[in-house]
Amino acid sequence: MKVSLNWLKQFVNIDGLTPEQIADRLTFAGVEVESIEKGSIATNLVIGQVVECENMPNSDHLHLCKVNVGDNVLDIVCGAPNVRVGLKVIVALDGATLPGGTIKKGKIRGYESNGMLCSLLELGVEAKYLRDEQINGIEEVNDEVAVGSTNVLELFGLDDVVLDLKLLANRSDCNAMINVAREIKTLFERDINLPVPSQHELVENDLIINSETKLCSQFSGRVVRNIKTKPSPKWLKQILQSEGIRSINNVVDIGNYIMLLTGQPLHMYDLDKLPKNELIVRDDYEGDFIALDEKTYKLQKGDIVITSNNRVMCLGGVMGSLECAVDENTKNIVIEAANFDFASIRRTSIRLNLSSDSSMRFVKGINPNQYDYVMDLTVDLLSSLCDASEISKTKTYLEKEIKQTILSCPISYINNRLGTTFSDEQIINALERAHLDVVNEDGLLTVKVPFQRIDILDKADLSEEVIRILGFDNVVSELPSAKLSVGKLDENVFNKRIVRDYLRNCGLDEQLTYSLIRKEEVNAFNILNKDESYHIMHPLTDEHEYVRTNILPSLMNVLEYNLNHGESNLSFFEVSDLYSVNHKSIHLAIILNGLNLREGRLISEPYNFYHMKGLVEGIFKCFNIEPNRYTFVRSNEKEFHPGKSANIILQGKNIGVFGELHPTILKKYSLKNSPIVLELDLETIFNTPTGLKKMSPISKFPTVSHDLAIVVKDNINSEDIIKEIKSTNRNLIKNAEVFDVYKGEHVESGYVSLAISIIYGNNEKTLTSDEINNVETKIIANLEKKFQATLRK
Amino acid sequence: MEEIEKVQALKEKIISLIENASNVNELKTVQETHLSKKSELNSMMSLIRNLNNEDKILFGQAMNNARNEINTKYNEKLNYLNELLIKEKLEKESIDITLPGMNYQLGGINPFYQIQDEIMDIFVSMGYEIVEGPDVETDYYNFERMNIPANHPAREMQDSFYINPTTLLRTHTSPAQAHAMDKANGKPLRIVCPGKCFRRDDDDVTHSHQFGQVEGLVVDKNINLGNLKATLELVLRKMFGEKREVRFRGSYFPFTEPSVEVDISCMECKGKGCPTCKGTGYIEILGAGMVHPNVLKMAGYDPDVYSGFAFGIGIERVAMLRYGIDDIRRIYTGDVRFIKQFKRN
Repeated sequence: MKVSLNWLKQFVNIDGLTPEQIADRLTFAGVEVESIEKGSIATNLVIGQVVECENMPNSDHLHLCKVNVGDNVLDIVCGAPNVRVGLKVIVALDGATLPGGTIKKGKIRGYESNGMLCSLLELGVEAKYLRDEQINGIEEVNDEVAVGSTNVLELFGLDDVVLDLKLLANRSDCNAMINVAREIKTLFERDINLPVPSQHELVENDLIINSETKLCSQFSGRVVRNIKTKPSPKWLKQILQSEGIRSINNVVDIGNYIMLLTGQPLHMYDLDKLPKNELIVRDDYEGDFIALDEKTYKLQKGDIVITSNNRVMCLGGVMGSLECAVDENTKNIVIEAANFDFASIRRTSIRLNLSSDSSMRFVKGINPNQYDYVMDLTVDLLSSLCDASEISKTKTYLEKEIKQTILSCPISYINNRLGTTFSDEQIINALERAHLDVVNEDGLLTVKVPFQRIDILDKADLSEEVIRILGFDNVVSELPSAKLSVGKLDENVFNKRIVRDYLRNCGLDEQLTYSLIRKEEVNAFNILNKDESYHIMHPLTDEHEYVRTNILPSLMNVLEYNLNHGESNLSFFEVSDLYSVNHKSIHLAIILNGLNLREGRLISEPYNFYHMKGLVEGIFKCFNIEPNRYTFVRSNEKEFHPGKSANIILQGKNIGVFGELHPTILKKYSLKNSPIVLELDLETIFNTPTGLKKMSPISKFPTVSHDLAIVVKDNINSEDIIKEIKSTNRNLIKNAEVFDVYKGEHVESGYVSLAISIIYGNNEKTLTSDEINNVETKIIANLEKKFQATLRK
Repeated sequence: MEEIEKVQALKEKIISLIENASNVNELKTVQETHLSKKSELNSMMSLIRNLNNEDKILFGQAMNNARNEINTKYNEKLNYLNELLIKEKLEKESIDITLPGMNYQLGGINPFYQIQDEIMDIFVSMGYEIVEGPDVETDYYNFERMNIPANHPAREMQDSFYINPTTLLRTHTSPAQAHAMDKANGKPLRIVCPGKCFRRDDDDVTHSHQFGQVEGLVVDKNINLGNLKATLELVLRKMFGEKREVRFRGSYFPFTEPSVEVDISCMECKGKGCPTCKGTGYIEILGAGMVHPNVLKMAGYDPDVYSGFAFGIGIERVAMLRYGIDDIRRIYTGDVRFIKQFKRN
């Protein structure tokens, strides 16, 4: 809603209030003023009269004018085609500010010019409110205006200030000027002066009015005869202009004006074009409808229509028909003021992509009980502006009696809810300022809510009225006093934190990407979570059409983005909850690419499979899951390199896959070298029970480390060799680890040399070298037997 | 005495040899030739035999003094030369200390998570429980339970990502309130719910179809708007500095009554007015209010006995304000040049 202060002034006293003060107060009270628009910022204007006008030599359009501005006659060069001797004009004097800049006297093609003759466009009026000749030429000022007048902006209604209200759903009442005036009275305690309709001699109304649908709670019609359609007077045009509505003719303009004033949408029918002397509201029509905009719309059951002799005369609350539209020949009209179901209007208006100021008001809700008042104001204007001579009574269909909301509220409730210390008197006074009718009986308030405030339905709403009127500054800030309790993170949130902190401490960057992805992206990585993905019914773009079932597709985009921006040494991860049709899970995805710069560039090396494996093992460590509970097996996921990828098996369940990508995927993403990627189901890890770890005794006797280098066929898993070594003597062998792997010169092709460090120890006594040698001999014998291993020379 | 003079002369000679030794080896040679048992100095002891008793004493003293003096000089020189050796060795071992450190790099954190974690930690410290609600929600929890009945404009299909007519990606974290209240079974509660939300907005500098919220809810006896204000003051001052002023503006949400927009005094200009706060001195930071009686009723609380406050903090908005981030899309793009700028603090 746009609120013209010039118009508002007619209904409420705002003397001494600046637009900014009004806007501030409204905004803090929950009626946000989005902007303050000044009609025109132009200064230093005067009305002048052209006394001489000659064509400039050597110019096809410039004129040399002498303009009388009252106390002076100025030489001004003017390019407008309509400038002529005798014309009264708007003159911007030297130093004048216009929306386009400052006017300075100077020379144009050598001729002196001491100002500018202006069009309204140049003063800042939008072109849509102007006729072509007003746009192409200078404004032709009415001859009655005195030369030398300086109140130019006032003359053209451009001295107005318009507040643009951004109304929230609860304050739809402020879509009406009289309610804005009421709000100003509430907030500033100013006098209010709402329009009072005058009495007219009324004739009987023989129009048949009825509703056959629950979607219409009230429908009123009134016949007005012998009207004359003509252009609206200036004051009416200016008000509509300030609200952003174009003037059409006096009848249509009156309808719009009343709607802006009262919030009640009206419709005007040409009575003589109605096929029958009736207007019936229905919701069962199916078929085509030609609207005022001359377009054909397909109507269906549930659309509210107003019919006459079974023909649709109006799409209720949205738009009238072309068939019975008011035009310049209209003599007799029917005025309609109704209340339609907001939901139905909304559905219709959205389906047909057809909305208007009136449908918007129905959708947000209107005052259900002011139709008589609205009708009376309308006929007043029709009588004064359209010379209407025969006015009928209002005929109304009412579904049921319109009831006023009455609330009962203990007065103590208000301070208790607000954390304030208002006196009873202050509270009652505030409610009364909000136009509520309050009776206090021993601390229990009975409050009658005015019909325009359809948002006040509960005593909580009364507390809001009090605080917004008396000011939120009165709220006493005090922490709640509640019983102490232990604050804590949800277990999943806590566990996600452990993983996220671990990975960041390992030097990986934490990412956040969109949950909605493309169809191709869902299909590109059909790994781990193979559940059906959710599809969005009405996606905005195909980029965000499916709810992802894995995180890797999103991180692949991040990889691509960073590679395209010159960053190639990357390590990042994302932890996210995932939702698919039958399944909710928590995943982690990691991408490692290029060089591992974890310890800085000096010892960087390319990322490989084992970096990722180490991170996975690290996560298991974070949750105290011992290596005997999980294994890594070769993966056969088709997206991965079959020789350089693994599935992670935790207690028999596949919970993740990692490694290098298959060349077909690399090609899809135009990657030359494969990143190392991981997709891991964290939830299974979080849900794996681990007992409290007790301390294990530390031996008093020293351990001894011996190294062993063996050569075996390169298809033998090192893990099997380590297991074999450890099983040789579980008492004396404390640990065994591969510390070097070598293939190449001095090692036969198809074979690999493994260097293994073995830790010996005895918890009972100090080991002797004989004992160690015995065990080692046995180890070598076992490895020879089992793996055909030979000692490396 | 002639003998003593001989001793003196020899001492002078040895000391000069010691002083002239330029390395430990030369010094060792001096020691071997002049200070061993068979050395010239030791053999001089035989001269004592020819002296009378008085002179013997004097000679003995002279010999002792000479030996002590030589030993002192020798030890001094030896120490000096050893130190020199160490110094030379260390000098040779010197490295370029300006080469980059081999630090175990700390990963960057998306500022979204920085803010989200920080807010959660503040509330945990106040005894709140952090709970999570689902991203995929029923329209019943997302709307109905938030006092947004069927046919309410906010339920427009056009504004939300529906999966089917009754299931959608949640448009706010508020439904977590309803889930938590259902679980609490009529008992008081204090919860915070962080999470992702989705709306059918075109992505631009300030809009994102996906965004994060942290929802807070307290339900108990005697909870009032002042309690909400104090709680938010505490949190916002922790996030934006102790000097921030917090103010309420009237607003509207279907699930709270009264509803407020919460502004904080601008951290750039300290409330004087600047481009960040568009000259107003204040910045809109979140929406909040007293829980609507209908929301309590639907969760089985008697609104005449229990009351509550709720608030929803936009994570991106806080992150953008705190770190001066110019475009919300940066949070979701994954540019490591952006992410690496933020470390957990």
